[in-house]
Amino acid sequence: MSRTRAIAWLTLAAAAVPCWANTDWELDLDARLVSSNAEPSFMEGGLGTTRFSSNDDGLQLGRARLALTQSLGDLLSAHVDASIYDDKDRTPVGVTEAWLLFRPYPFAGYRFRLKAGAFYPPISLENRAPGWDSPYTLSYSAINSWLATEVRPLGIEGTLDWLGTRTGHRFDLGVTAGAFGWNQGTGVVITNNGFSLTDRQTPLFGRVGQPGADPLGGAEPFLQFDHHAGIYGGIELRYLDRVVLRALRYDNRAEPAGDEVTPPNYSQWTRFNTAGVRIEGDHGWTAIVQWLDGETTTVADGVPGGVSSWPFRSEFALLSKRLGRHTISARYDRFTVDSVGAWGYGAQDGHAWTAAWLYDITSHWRMAVEWLQVVSSSSSREDFGGPPLLTETQLQLSIRYSLGSGIY
Amino acid sequence: MGALAALVVLWAATFGGVPDAEGATLVIHVQTSEGHALPGAVVMAQPLDGTVRKVTPLRAVMDQVNRAFAPDLLVIPTGSTVEFPNSDSVSHQIYSFSPTKRFQLPLYHGKPYPPVHFDQAGVVTLGCNIHDDMVAYLIVTDAPFFGRTDGAGVWSSDVTRGRYRVTLWHPRLRDNEADLERELTVGESDRVELTVRLTKALQPAPLTDRPHSWDY
Repeated sequence: MSRTRAIAWLTLAAAAVPCWANTDWELDLDARLVSSNAEPSFMEGGLGTTRFSSNDDGLQLGRARLALTQSLGDLLSAHVDASIYDDKDRTPVGVTEAWLLFRPYPFAGYRFRLKAGAFYPPISLENRAPGWDSPYTLSYSAINSWLATEVRPLGIEGTLDWLGTRTGHRFDLGVTAGAFGWNQGTGVVITNNGFSLTDRQTPLFGRVGQPGADPLGGAEPFLQFDHHAGIYGGIELRYLDRVVLRALRYDNRAEPAGDEVTPPNYSQWTRFNTAGVRIEGDHGWTAIVQWLDGETTTVADGVPGGVSSWPFRSEFALLSKRLGRHTISARYDRFTVDSVGAWGYGAQDGHAWTAAWLYDITSHWRMAVEWLQVVSSSSSREDFGGPPLLTETQLQLSIRYSLGSGIY
Repeated sequence: MGALAALVVLWAATFGGVPDAEGATLVIHVQTSEGHALPGAVVMAQPLDGTVRKVTPLRAVMDQVNRAFAPDLLVIPTGSTVEFPNSDSVSHQIYSFSPTKRFQLPLYHGKPYPPVHFDQAGVVTLGCNIHDDMVAYLIVTDAPFFGRTDGAGVWSSDVTRGRYRVTLWHPRLRDNEADLERELTVGESDRVELTVRLTKALQPAPLTDRPHSWDY
């Protein structure tokens, strides 16, 4: 199915939705004009750190997206988020999130929610717009780009909130715990390519890289190799509607195994801690700081005792100012991947600056301009004959049209 | 005809605001802790001398427009009903777990729901189980005289003469409500004024310039 036909199907599906009862829907079409001097990205089998490379100069599809939320009685709802990215994935249309949500009404100041399906853990303070998009920049931070690429638990998540602000207090407090599977390939992109800054979200059971193209070769992050369930647990503290503080521990608890055991993929034991804070003030100011520190471990085939680990870490700080229909944002990212053990491959160190201006022309049309520069050193790039230190710059102009039951 | 209209306007301007011999005008000024006028504060005046003035219950409407309650604060006499029509095309699930009135209301577009009856005085905090940033308040009161301060932080009403307890409420109030209660007598004078100044700074106002579609 071609990309054009896929977009046509999404649009037709959206046109049919208003006929369904109690269905909320959203449709986005985002076109980009791109100028980039970057190396090919991991989706093109390269080691570039941006979504678009110098091969992509010109008109590109940013994203075509259809999301449906269907109430199933008063306490249950189902949500599906499907997207098209023009990036040679296995199928042109992919589902990025799909879940069932059980949400009983709050009682005596407490609220419990249970989610089952495929979804992002409650980590990002940046990706708060519909479709797990960022309302501040086109490209996500390195941390959230990595989550978009490789982290998508398939499982269940329970959240208990104390709604203090609804009972005369100034704070809300929430605790979350999740158990999941199909994240045992998670870490393969960090291992081979390191961090990048992109806004492509790998669809469920989607592919990263291209078959036969080093270094990723069309690996799949969303796989299950053994009987271990992954777990995560986190807390969230809020002060009024102004400050959100989140911390979370994720561990996929995979048994590390090389591709001789799990052909053609690797089983990667990936775990990380992350914490962040978002502060929103008067006059449209937003500041976000987030930190993530983890490690992924797998086995290098053919190397005796070949267990290798890649400790990775990233931080970013974002400052944004909303002026009526305009949003101006700047972000600084820093990231590093070490390579420890038999493999000796995949170390990376870098930083990035992002500046973006987003303009909501109407409730349906949005224009955006983003400049992104990534400076990175990469041992993988050096191994493949590239320069050890590289500065990649990507400039994007985006026009997005949105329709939906909540967009007037 | 023009002269007659002018006479009517003159009469109204001269005598229209003056209460009859049985009553007087009660004027309440509400100020922040910094001494600025506080608009939108709820003021309730309850007679203390046993005179009971029954207030006719209202049939009020609190709509849901663009993922927000409209209005987001209503003051209603005990026994009133409130309708929640949902003018949005998205669904809402309205709830209150306030002891004054606990209820849950699934609101689907185009499906009217019977009005909710509020038969007990107190504050009812409303939320939406789908859209976390939606919040509204219903102040249900037994007081026969109530209202909200205007842009100058002033509320006034014609009241019968007697002794009153004046209470205040505001969604951003950090003072203990009991500390802001005042008692006063509306006696011989035609106009009785009282200024209530908060002792604590208001908590920050809710942010209003961010799209409702964002995660709260």
